[in-house]
Amino acid sequence: MTQGFAVDRAFATVAFKRRLAYKIQWMVALVLGGGAMLVSMAMWRNLLADGALSGYDWESMRAYIIIGFITATVVFGAADWHIADRILDGHIAIDLTKPVDFQRARAAEYIGSMISTVPTVIVGVVGAWLLFDPPGPASALAGVLTAVSFVLIFPLAFGITYLTVLVCFWTKRYIGVMWLREALLGFFSGMMIPLAFMPSWLQAVAWALPFPHFTTTPAAIYLGRVDTAGALGLLAAEAAWALGLWFGGRLVFRQAVKKVTVHGG
Amino acid sequence: MPILEARSLTKTFRRPDKASGFKGAVKHLAQRRYKNYTAVDGIDLSVDAGESVAYVGPNGAGKSTTVKLLTGILKPSEGTVRVMGRDPHTERIANAHDIGVLFGQRTQLWWDLPVEESLKLLKHMYGVSEADYKRRIAKFDELLDLGEFMPALARTLSLGQRMRADLACALIHDPKMVYLDEPTIGLDISVKDRLRAFLRELVDDGTTLLLTSHDLADIEEVCERIVVIDKGAIAYDGPITELKAHYITTKAVHLILDGPADLPELSEKFPDYAWAAGDAPSEVKVTYESARFTTAEVLADVTGHLRPRDLSLSEPSIEDVIRRLYAGELTK
Repeated sequence: MTQGFAVDRAFATVAFKRRLAYKIQWMVALVLGGGAMLVSMAMWRNLLADGALSGYDWESMRAYIIIGFITATVVFGAADWHIADRILDGHIAIDLTKPVDFQRARAAEYIGSMISTVPTVIVGVVGAWLLFDPPGPASALAGVLTAVSFVLIFPLAFGITYLTVLVCFWTKRYIGVMWLREALLGFFSGMMIPLAFMPSWLQAVAWALPFPHFTTTPAAIYLGRVDTAGALGLLAAEAAWALGLWFGGRLVFRQAVKKVTVHGG
Repeated sequence: MPILEARSLTKTFRRPDKASGFKGAVKHLAQRRYKNYTAVDGIDLSVDAGESVAYVGPNGAGKSTTVKLLTGILKPSEGTVRVMGRDPHTERIANAHDIGVLFGQRTQLWWDLPVEESLKLLKHMYGVSEADYKRRIAKFDELLDLGEFMPALARTLSLGQRMRADLACALIHDPKMVYLDEPTIGLDISVKDRLRAFLRELVDDGTTLLLTSHDLADIEEVCERIVVIDKGAIAYDGPITELKAHYITTKAVHLILDGPADLPELSEKFPDYAWAAGDAPSEVKVTYESARFTTAEVLADVTGHLRPRDLSLSEPSIEDVIRRLYAGELTK
């Protein structure tokens, strides 16, 4: 077991260092993510100037936008295309000659690359805190549960990403799959606009998917829109999705690996 | 008991059957058609521990597909493979602990990290102890000069350095069975020589080796046994010395004369030899069966009659034999 974790840590460290090798990428993520956050703040300040909309006033929206920035930076900043590239260019042949579980190794790499976005998140959040002075969590417990929700985003994001990357075995292309996933994630997570602004049938669709846990769940817990039991229910749903997607990934990989057709050397 | 055993090993791929041009593309979009293509066709192969086997064949013969079947990357369409008693596809992780694989055309180094980082990650993957890791790195450094580029990013390495680093990656866990798929492709002669010397040492230490290469010097210098594959099936399987003894039955003398040679006259005078023109009008090649005539007899005959200015001896190389095997001119 210890050996297994040592390998996970080694994979995560390598992925982290690979991201570290491209310092400008960090700056770009900060500028783009920070820029998007500033635009959002300006837009919502105007929209909410006359009072609350769908239960959000300017104060709660400031916290909501910062939470959206955190999840977007972590999720969109991870190196999913590294896995897709290996499948598409045939390097998976080399991965399959190594004595490691393919999915677990990719999860460790993916989480390592997600961790590499943490400095961007810290700089962005500190900057936003100083500029916009958002409200704190509804309670200390809400703060702790929000942190748990953020932690669960890591395996959940991997589960979704891994399944979409495995689609490459059939599609032989990744870019379209990635765009579709990112569009669905951006829309149904509430990163673009809170789910509360959507018609109830669309909210029902969103909650039937894992995406709301990327922004709506941590924001709802942080802002106290759900009580402790509700928060624990949301966290349980988030964990269940992460677990379900993990085993779903296993099932799909079992079929996908039969489709490996690496021709030539 | 063999370390590797394949029985009736077959791999069939499905390929799109698409006509060329715009019309073909549109037609394929509307009505997809596929053709089955057999890359490996019922191969039987058995390798004992400590053997060094060259697995050769023309491009597209099925060499790399066989290696991928033997290493567990691909699932056979038919037939079975056992490596150290395991099915390498269904018992992939256990099998991977005991094998080392190098694909000359694909690196296993992490492209944007120093070579050392890749080797350390592999150390963790294989559970190599710190002491063994240090000892093996020291050995690789001694034989492959690894130290000079250990801190360099993989993407900055020359091809020769990259291949040496990849070889170290394939062997860092001291595998019992090693597959090398074109390990010298694109390398200059001095790097090839170093790699071959390293591989000879590996074989001498008792590692079982299966090597594919288009460079027949790799094969002659490293391997004792040769398996020739063509169109997915084995065309020859036996010791390299036997292949030579069986098929290299002629020798030749190349003569440089003072003037043009009269080939019809020479053929009439020495009908047991085959006479052919050389590269220049004053050059001539005499081929004879080595089982019937000694070189001394042939030289006595031709030098007594022609008094050449210079001469040299040659025998067909293993390359000629394999070329003829590929062409279907020879069968075992």
